[in-house]
Amino acid sequence: MNRAHAALSAVFPIVLAIALSAVLFFVTGYDVGAVISGVIEGAVTGFGSFWQTLRWSMPLLLIAVGFLFCVRAGEFNIGGQGQMMMGGLGTIVVALLVPGPVCLVLPVAILAGMIFGGLWSFLPGVLKVKLGADEVIVTLMLNFIAVLFVSWITTGPLKDPAVRGETASTPTVDAALRLSSGDGMSVTLLVLIALAVAAAWLIAERTAFGLKLRYVGEAPEAARWQGMKADRLRLWAYVLAGAFAGLAGAFEVLGPNGRLVTGATPTIGFTAIVVTIVGLSRVPGIVLAALLFGGLQAAILFLPIVSDLPSSGLKILEGLIALLITAEFIRRRRGVG
Amino acid sequence: MMSSPTLECTNIDVRFGPVRALSDVSLSLERGQVHAILGQNGAGKSTLARALSGVLVPEAGTLQIAGRDVPFGSAAATQAAGLDIVHQRFALPPGFTVAEALEFASTRKMGGLFYSKRKVEAAWQARLDQAGITVPVSAVLSSLPVETAQAIEIARALVNDAQILILDEPTALLSPETIETLFAQLRQLRDAGVTLIVILHKLKEVMALADTVSILRQGELVLPATPTSELDEDRIRDLMIGGEPSNKAAAQTSVLASGQKDLLTFAHVSSPSKGPEPGLSDVSFSLCSGEILGVAGVEGNGQRALAEVYAGLTQAIAGTIMLQGAEIQNADISARRNAGLRSVPFDRMTEGASLTLPLWENAKSWMSEAFRGATFPFVSLRAMRTEAAAGLDNYGVVYSSVEQPGGTLSGGNLQRVILARELGGDVIAVLAAQPTRGLDFGATAFVWDELRRVRQDGAGVLLISSDLDELFDICDRILVMRGGAVAGVFANTATRAEIGHAMVGGRS
Amino acid sequence: MEFLDQFTVTTLRGATPIVLAAVAGLFAIRAGIFHLGIEGLMLVGAFTAVAAGTASGSATVGMLTAILVCLLLSVLYWYLIDKLKADTVIAGLGLTALCVGGTAFAMQVLFDQRGQMASTVRLYRPITGQQEGALSFVSELTIITWVTPLLVVLAWIVLRRSRLGLQIAAVGDYPYGAEAVGVNQSRVRLYALLITGAGCAIAGTQLAIGDVAGFSENMTNGRGFFALAAMLFGGFSAVFTAFAGLFFGFADAFGIFMQINDRSGLPVQFVLLVPFILTILIVSISGYLRKKKSTR
Repeated sequence: MNRAHAALSAVFPIVLAIALSAVLFFVTGYDVGAVISGVIEGAVTGFGSFWQTLRWSMPLLLIAVGFLFCVRAGEFNIGGQGQMMMGGLGTIVVALLVPGPVCLVLPVAILAGMIFGGLWSFLPGVLKVKLGADEVIVTLMLNFIAVLFVSWITTGPLKDPAVRGETASTPTVDAALRLSSGDGMSVTLLVLIALAVAAAWLIAERTAFGLKLRYVGEAPEAARWQGMKADRLRLWAYVLAGAFAGLAGAFEVLGPNGRLVTGATPTIGFTAIVVTIVGLSRVPGIVLAALLFGGLQAAILFLPIVSDLPSSGLKILEGLIALLITAEFIRRRRGVG
Repeated sequence: MMSSPTLECTNIDVRFGPVRALSDVSLSLERGQVHAILGQNGAGKSTLARALSGVLVPEAGTLQIAGRDVPFGSAAATQAAGLDIVHQRFALPPGFTVAEALEFASTRKMGGLFYSKRKVEAAWQARLDQAGITVPVSAVLSSLPVETAQAIEIARALVNDAQILILDEPTALLSPETIETLFAQLRQLRDAGVTLIVILHKLKEVMALADTVSILRQGELVLPATPTSELDEDRIRDLMIGGEPSNKAAAQTSVLASGQKDLLTFAHVSSPSKGPEPGLSDVSFSLCSGEILGVAGVEGNGQRALAEVYAGLTQAIAGTIMLQGAEIQNADISARRNAGLRSVPFDRMTEGASLTLPLWENAKSWMSEAFRGATFPFVSLRAMRTEAAAGLDNYGVVYSSVEQPGGTLSGGNLQRVILARELGGDVIAVLAAQPTRGLDFGATAFVWDELRRVRQDGAGVLLISSDLDELFDICDRILVMRGGAVAGVFANTATRAEIGHAMVGGRS
Repeated sequence: MEFLDQFTVTTLRGATPIVLAAVAGLFAIRAGIFHLGIEGLMLVGAFTAVAAGTASGSATVGMLTAILVCLLLSVLYWYLIDKLKADTVIAGLGLTALCVGGTAFAMQVLFDQRGQMASTVRLYRPITGQQEGALSFVSELTIITWVTPLLVVLAWIVLRRSRLGLQIAAVGDYPYGAEAVGVNQSRVRLYALLITGAGCAIAGTQLAIGDVAGFSENMTNGRGFFALAAMLFGGFSAVFTAFAGLFFGFADAFGIFMQINDRSGLPVQFVLLVPFILTILIVSISGYLRKKKSTR
């Protein structure tokens, strides 16, 4: 009964958000039917669509999985965006500047991504744990800072001279290091992601660390009395969150993008949070939710072909989902008094 | 003196889900008396108070004050009818100043929608001076001693012209001497015509204060309002407990033989204060193996600091703590636990266990060797669940599944879970902080039996309690804390007056 | 002298929206709501001021419409977090996301513009004409900037010397006590959120049609979060919060001037970083101070 109720509480707000958006689009004069069929075609049924959905689900999935650790610990680390970008930065630096055989440079590049991301998350963790600095604001600020910093890197030191125009970027990574071809997924990437997600699940659900983390998040006082080192556990949660987000950045750089780009997916961190909640803070659910939102992103890119709905329309849908997802539409059963 | 009853409630029924908190309670009170509502913890006394004062709406019943019908569920309506309540947990925001709190909470305001601080403070100061309370109204509530804060709560109700005043467990946080002062004030109020309904769970207090008494047991009124002169203590006790085993301890045999080993020694330990909570100030004492050392004192006099320094949550800034001859003041919490120092914390719902996590996670002690049955670093959930279930069964916890959240258990049951976790295994010393607070007699008896069992096995027990009866019943010695320092250590043959004196320090 | 003038104007102009949003947001925070939607509300205020102002030809109508829309959104937010028990932080972020997408969408649908649009109206400036000497900058300040100090004082009076203020504080600090006294917590939260919404609307109006009249997508660019930081730094005092907001304006102006003059040759991004780093510093310091004071 509990599981069914939980699933319903995740699905209903989404359905409601879709309905409200559909009404909005209809009222403002867009062809709702075209939009819906366009979304479905762009996400699932079109040629290569599902592969695109997977491609866009990947970063969401990894960031959301990392965010899950912080959620378990009761921390609201919304810095996934910045941690991913810094991870990408670390990866591109290694990929472009470190010489050596592929079998060495590749893992180091990925590792660099995880380390950079982990550090970018460790900072707000320390500020929160030691100084009580509100992690929501600090991680938010670090997101902005990361965006600016990467923007400088891609227009300055690591600028690709061949690229003109608005999107600044670094030169492309050597083809041998690429995990997947341009703008797409590959089996290699898929396998790596599956491994990462499996590892996250094991850590969260089957290790003493994961169980203690949950205890610290749910009952911090009791955790302290029982000897758990709450501060240390929380810091590790931050580091893990950053490492996974950094991994997402690494995969973006070594995979679909092949380079470090500015201005790519500016709200991905926030979407990842919604993914975690829609996934009911459980890894299997997060996988499904990531597919949903990845599909939506794929649809956003496909939609201009079949409809004149601006992309901000689907952004409205995402905002509505976030707004409604934690509301209790069904009254919870009153527990024992 | 046949006048219409000042308060009359009939057939009150209160339910919380499937639990019947009150069934068919009817009460009729005359004006100008002190009426006590007596009952164990969990009998329904507070529920009745909250129903009468407009905080909760019963499923059934009526209420009349001075002959007029009053609706349930509206604090404003009951206040307008002349009924007010002083809650067990104070209702005035602790961060407010006295003037702000009174201005906020009274129906009679001294200022308008916008007010001038000076005028409002002067007005309230005058009112309080009239009531005989000497407190600067610009003082913040949380900085005042408990009995002053309580006096202000009472004053608030009186300013609203309350004719009927309910006091929910007013003696819980007071020392014996301040209890006397309170009773004197209440008698004064009664003589002036105010009707007082006082909720108590101590027999002695009822006999000392009340004109009439009614008794609640498990939500039912087993004794309607009866003059206390017509009753004797034994009959009252029977009605309260109703056939449950008495928790009166058998004659205390002190386990303190000569040559008793010192188990845990605090030597000149000091710790920093935290906000309103005083830290330890040059505290020295010894806990011997095979004894229960009670820690008495008005709440907020360093007991929390003592518990936290003992457990390791707070570092001592001076002094040494020795456990069986070894210095441990620098050891962290888990090291101390591994060494055999256990604690039953003050608040079982936030510090002792998690209400949201399942029982098996609460019953498991988080020590590294306890994870077994699988390869490192992974744990076996099944092994943990099995072990937890064994512990829960051992301690008689009533549950249906180890997966159910801690919050689904009653207070007494949850305490059993905590005891199962803390006392199972090798225990050298236990600190139990207010372990029986809020528990009914049966659960209280269980806690006491467990503490006696570990004492029998040679462990030492530090029992922090603000209930002097409890301390006298089961402790071998009693240490009194005041202002963060040890005000005295007494044998359990000391008198209440001696201990009371030590608690408040020489006030005559 | 002219440089000082310009700098003062830029500071005051930049600080006004942040100060207004921060002081308005104080009501929500005092009531116990960590309102992450103020960024979105400011943005909606900005857009509505431009849209309604352009459509009606009057800046005043623009501002009033902005206030109305923000009030409605605040009611929606209140309903979600109070009646439907949604999580305050997530719903706040959702509100902001909705506003970001919504304003861009509305701009497209209503005005067929993408990215940005100009406004045909500007806010009224009470003092016009060239002034001489040191005070020449006063002619550049809009009426909202002039009124802001008064609003700050008014906020202080309401929060600290009014019945509503006491109720808001009780609901935020000690809801148990508010309940016991019979205060309608839901209603008090609603009032607090409405005040916050109105303040954000005015802040957004200043931002959009104060100087460079127009709206661009996501033009608030984090100012709502700076306002939150100012609130955390200012504690529960309207006056300290206002000063913190002023300091942000100062940092902002500093950044802009560095950009224009470009003495140091630093890349533009580093200069833009300043307010964000400042926010982190402020939040860390205020957190540290709070930790030292509290019991745990």
